Amino acid sequence: MVRAVADRAFLPTKNLLEQVGDMMILPGKTMLSALRPPYPYGGEFVNQFLFALKLCWFPLLVSTIAFGYGAPGIQAGNFATLFGSIDRLGGFFVLASIREFAPFVTAIVLAGVAGTAITADLGARKIREELDALQVLGVDPIKNLVVPRFLALMIVTALFNIYALVFGIVGGVLATLTFDAPLGPFFATLLTNASTTDLWGSVVKTTLFGAIIAVVCCYKGMTASGGAEGVGRSVNQAVVISFTMIFAFNYVFTQTLLATHPEISVIK
Amino acid sequence: MGWLSVPKDWIASTGDIVKFFVRVFGELFSGRVLKFFGEALRQAGILILGSLLVIWSLGFIFGLQCGIEGAYFNRSLGAPAYAGVFSAWCDLRELIPYAFGYMMAAKVGTGLVAEIGAMRITDEVDALEVMGISSMTFLCGTRLLAALMVLPFAYIAAIGAGFFASYLAVVQQIGEVSSGGYFLIFWMFQNPPDLLYSLIKAMVMAVFIVVVGLYYGYTAGGGPVGVGTATAKSMVLNIVMVHLIGMVGTQLFWGSNPRAPIGG
Repeated sequence: MVRAVADRAFLPTKNLLEQVGDMMILPGKTMLSALRPPYPYGGEFVNQFLFALKLCWFPLLVSTIAFGYGAPGIQAGNFATLFGSIDRLGGFFVLASIREFAPFVTAIVLAGVAGTAITADLGARKIREELDALQVLGVDPIKNLVVPRFLALMIVTALFNIYALVFGIVGGVLATLTFDAPLGPFFATLLTNASTTDLWGSVVKTTLFGAIIAVVCCYKGMTASGGAEGVGRSVNQAVVISFTMIFAFNYVFTQTLLATHPEISVIK
Repeated sequence: MGWLSVPKDWIASTGDIVKFFVRVFGELFSGRVLKFFGEALRQAGILILGSLLVIWSLGFIFGLQCGIEGAYFNRSLGAPAYAGVFSAWCDLRELIPYAFGYMMAAKVGTGLVAEIGAMRITDEVDALEVMGISSMTFLCGTRLLAALMVLPFAYIAAIGAGFFASYLAVVQQIGEVSSGGYFLIFWMFQNPPDLLYSLIKAMVMAVFIVVVGLYYGYTAGGGPVGVGTATAKSMVLNIVMVHLIGMVGTQLFWGSNPRAPIGG
């Protein structure tokens, strides 16, 4: 009786803690295995890189233009128009696009599009026992499957951040045009307010987002179980965990960046 | 896989999704789904217990984010006491609807694909038809009804979580404005129609996500791997549509009228 109650209460907690622990260990293992020779993962790395690129470029294009036009473009533009200072919208886009929404829209799209595809792919291999077969053949799944995905996603996410940033500003340009304002002042305030600190902050942040997505999605794919529903379930969990972790991390990172670099929040 | 495979895939399945959409809503409006009202209530219960907490926590994190950005932005303008303007607009009009859309897509949308897709490939859907129960009504109609019953309230609670988080970030964490001063500005820059518009935006997203989830699950095929692929595909479409609906909603509701208590 007591044992049954204790099992009911502690087993889920134990499972949860085990998962968290495994997810902490995986990036360590991945990095060690990436650095330690031999390096057989070159071809797979290029494949995964191109795969993420082909899958994400279009959704990301639509998403960033839509987000940039809607939230910072229309809302902040309305506010600036009330004060007759629509030229300041460019300055606001530094805060909005470079610091905030280009990184997180990139992360959302990468997690939702490339991350889910990775989990579905690895989960299918796990269910069909291909991963076990690899291990029997003496091929290390971490070195050959996780490491290339980890590196590819980190680099792709950071590069896509620049892409998202450019198209976010296209959204801002569209918004400025709908307010019948000239574009010169938009770019003038944008470029005066933009700082290298903002840019590297943004790139570092998205590189780490890429690492989070890769670790969570690979882990969930490689531990999929339970047949048909299992793969779907693990994709579901992977995307929920990556979203939550991305935003929790985003908050901590932005807060730290803003507090330690007060000069970037000075409006010029 | 080519560079244009994602947009091609969408164009190819648009007609099917629209047809499916009409069929599910047909189940709802014809009242056939009310035969299975108990099942709809059970699904509502599953939705409440399984998904709401994580949706609210994402709303909370977005609220924190709006709070710190607003506090730092208004400090740089030399008006830290006006941080409420930023967080009121950011929370209510933009980011909480997006947070809700993202988490709905991630948790509920993919969950539906995984669940119904598994039923489809293990032939449980066909078994329902054999027993004389319309699978469209029993599986899809009830889940849509459950979502419509639960989600408006869930969304308003998510807004509450976001507001609370913004308050924590601006007043308690950054601390450059008193809580009275913050709330004065915060409530002045929003009113009930804004809440209604925000609710409409989020509900359009939610209905779209649920229907897309049901569609990809209901039409899944190709074994266990197929379910995983369908889950991933539904996520791609949902993410893009959440952004597009957000943009169109903003343009529609606030595009021509900023709804701010400033000026004539």
